[in-house]
Amino acid sequence: MLLQGDYAKLIPALKPMRIDQFVLEYATPRAGDIEVVGSVLSDRELGLGVVNPRTDTVETPEEIVLKATRALDFYRPEQLFLNTDCGFGCFASRSVNVEDVAFQKLCSIVAAAETLRKRFG
Amino acid sequence: MTNIKTFTTTQVGSWPRSREMLKALRAFQKKALSRRDFDNVADVEIRRTVHLQEKAGLDIIVDGEHRRESFYAFIADKVDGTRLMSLADMLDYVEDKAEFEEMLRTMDMPASAVKNPTCIGKLSRREPLAVNDLKFLRTISKKPVKITLPGPYLLTRSMWVGALTGKVYRNHKKLADDIVKILREELIDLRDAGCDFVQFDEPVLTEIVMSENCDRRTFM
Repeated sequence: MLLQGDYAKLIPALKPMRIDQFVLEYATPRAGDIEVVGSVLSDRELGLGVVNPRTDTVETPEEIVLKATRALDFYRPEQLFLNTDCGFGCFASRSVNVEDVAFQKLCSIVAAAETLRKRFG
Repeated sequence: MTNIKTFTTTQVGSWPRSREMLKALRAFQKKALSRRDFDNVADVEIRRTVHLQEKAGLDIIVDGEHRRESFYAFIADKVDGTRLMSLADMLDYVEDKAEFEEMLRTMDMPASAVKNPTCIGKLSRREPLAVNDLKFLRTISKKPVKITLPGPYLLTRSMWVGALTGKVYRNHKKLADDIVKILREELIDLRDAGCDFVQFDEPVLTEIVMSENCDRRTFM
């Protein structure tokens, strides 16, 4: 069962977990608004999913900067990690994404992080 | 982990696998390739994967999970009391075949493509799950590294196949106790070996939280 809508229904399960960071998908529109998680779980770090390994379109650094900036309403820059939504090759016999696209997506994440550091420290 | 900077960049785990890597994995599973030869192929793939991450400029490096059947099915290589089964193998043991086939359709996957680490006996850690991966990663990168492990909810849900697992464990909770024990031991070993970041993958948490029926099974 794929979660329809945002993470609201998962919050009661996530909140009591004794972990340092939640790594969550946010590159897919299905993830919903960051406020759902940010308003209640920002006592811990967030691994913000900013690129979707299941698509061939490379997200631009600008799109990623925009997404991360929105997360800054709830998180400090040192609490915010930028990562992929999931791995790039989920199953043994079927790689989800080809290496070149995967590499370009990583480059976009790094470029976005550089812009964000200049802007927000 | 202790942050070294702001907006730390990282990857979540697996990397696209080359034709050579997939071929080696299949041959190794059929015992047509020695562990040493398999590792030699994987080592090359992991070196390239790490190099690409460093070239892109990522702050925390992963090994790309090249040695793993899948992000969770590799548990069968490391833990006694398991058997790697294709979903086709499992059809014989599944109670509700219609629902099972519907699930395969939903996932848009051929049954032969997914392998499940089914629990068929008392679980115990035969060898470290990922400590050796960490050690190899350390030899090829000076950057902080992350190890990914399947989470306890995912493992309990996927490893439980009633007709087989029920003979060994009374219920899901009893199975989960042993899975948590194994993951805990591994986490401590990884920490002691100096791992910077350990990530537990829980892609089916939603289903567990939102479905009261514990027997509904999910394979990722």
